[in-house]
Amino acid sequence: MNDRITFANFHPVSLFFYFAAMLVFTMFTQNPVLILFSLVGASLFSAATSTREQIFADIKFYVPVFIVISLTNPIFSHSGATPLFFMNDNPVTLEAVLCGVDIAAMISAVMLICKAFSKVMESEKLLCLFGKAAPKLSVVLSMSLRFIPLFKRKFKEIKDAQKALGYFKSGSFSESLMSNARVFSALVTWALENGADTADSISARGYDVGGRKSFALFRFKKRDAILMTITLVLSSVTLVGFLLGKADFEFYPYITQINTDALSVILYAAFGSLSLIPFIFEVKEALHWKYLRSKI
Amino acid sequence: MKKSPNFLKYLIFLLLIPAVVFAGVAVFDSKQYIFIAVCVSILACLPFFYAFENKKTSTRKLTVLAVMVTFSIIGRTLFSFIPHFKPVTAIVVITGIYLGAESGFLCGALSALFSNFIFGQGPWTPFQMFAWGLIGLFSALLSKPLQKSKVLLCIFSALSGVMYSLLLDISSTLWYDGAFNLSRYAALVLTSLPVMAVYAASNAVFLLILAKPIGQKLTRIKIKYGI
Repeated sequence: MNDRITFANFHPVSLFFYFAAMLVFTMFTQNPVLILFSLVGASLFSAATSTREQIFADIKFYVPVFIVISLTNPIFSHSGATPLFFMNDNPVTLEAVLCGVDIAAMISAVMLICKAFSKVMESEKLLCLFGKAAPKLSVVLSMSLRFIPLFKRKFKEIKDAQKALGYFKSGSFSESLMSNARVFSALVTWALENGADTADSISARGYDVGGRKSFALFRFKKRDAILMTITLVLSSVTLVGFLLGKADFEFYPYITQINTDALSVILYAAFGSLSLIPFIFEVKEALHWKYLRSKI
Repeated sequence: MKKSPNFLKYLIFLLLIPAVVFAGVAVFDSKQYIFIAVCVSILACLPFFYAFENKKTSTRKLTVLAVMVTFSIIGRTLFSFIPHFKPVTAIVVITGIYLGAESGFLCGALSALFSNFIFGQGPWTPFQMFAWGLIGLFSALLSKPLQKSKVLLCIFSALSGVMYSLLLDISSTLWYDGAFNLSRYAALVLTSLPVMAVYAASNAVFLLILAKPIGQKLTRIKIKYGI
């Protein structure tokens, strides 16, 4: 399924670095320009890699979340110097309303980036990333991932066997509940025994000896180095902008002006390009594919 | 002799958390509580992972842990049609009671991390990992009384549901406000009361049904294979 996401073809290290940078910058800032870039970049990537039904489902989920968060902020926050109206003797301020919208955009952006992360970084990539640093946890992860389909199949096998023995006959709710519970109980016993056997098998093949090497599906190619370099350069520029205070933005007591000097514009451009990278790759690949097909 | 470097490393872990808090408050003018909170919840899980990685663990223990984690993931998918009614906490508690503190914490934290590959990773993942890990840890500490008394087991499971909900509400408050806003927190807790009740009830129900049979099987496997 992930073959259709171009961005997923990069090396896990480059991808992880990219997403870490995006998450940290988005979580750190209150600056509406940067948050807007982040939100737009993440939404465009999400839209480019989803089917139409998924896009509608996402809109149905994110729009209410966005509205609820932005509407509730003024109820709880009474800072700000420009009261719009009073509710229960508490001022509802312009600053609080806008700050709510800003926070809602930030949270939506973070959620979308996390979603893109899960889409792009499958378990194999994470195993490749953390296999060295956390070999045991990686083994537990890969075993669990293998156990899920195995247990599901075994559950069906046990159920079929019990059906043949005459259980599951009456079809009443209580009987099917009891029978399913019995199947589950058998599954647990089998799973634990099987786990112990698997462990012996793993040991017999020399797992405990140490020096475990893992099969790596991924090779760090030129394109991965390019993505890494671009990410590094753009996030360094962004970081410098942050440190110089160009990303500073305050809502309370008064909303500060958005910086528009040259340095700030460079910061916006750098972060904007950074957040659009995944979407650009998707579009580039789609256009390339169209071009190739047009020649047939 | 071999103990001192390890001890030092744990000390570093212990000092890292306050260091992050202080640095966060100093650098960000205490506006980025959520970033600090995410960092702290990840850091709180790290010593457990670190100890697990640096200890000799039998492969049998590894696979049994993987089996328990798998059951909680499957449980979360199987019951996805009833919102919030999940057997995950029950399985984490059982693991804690019968396999010890380390397995309990790891089962909780890993169940959160791995099942979120299916249900979606998000800013809530580190908090979930920490909350479920803590539940596994506490159930291991209370292992003896929890095995003896069913009433206590019920109370404990309901309380762990409440604790889980309260902890995750803290994280939502920090996300929404960037700071800890007490009235927001109160409102969130109030609106999440029904969810909290479902959590508590589902934990108690699943534990009452599952604790004894799975516990017996775990004890059996422990004796048979010497885990």
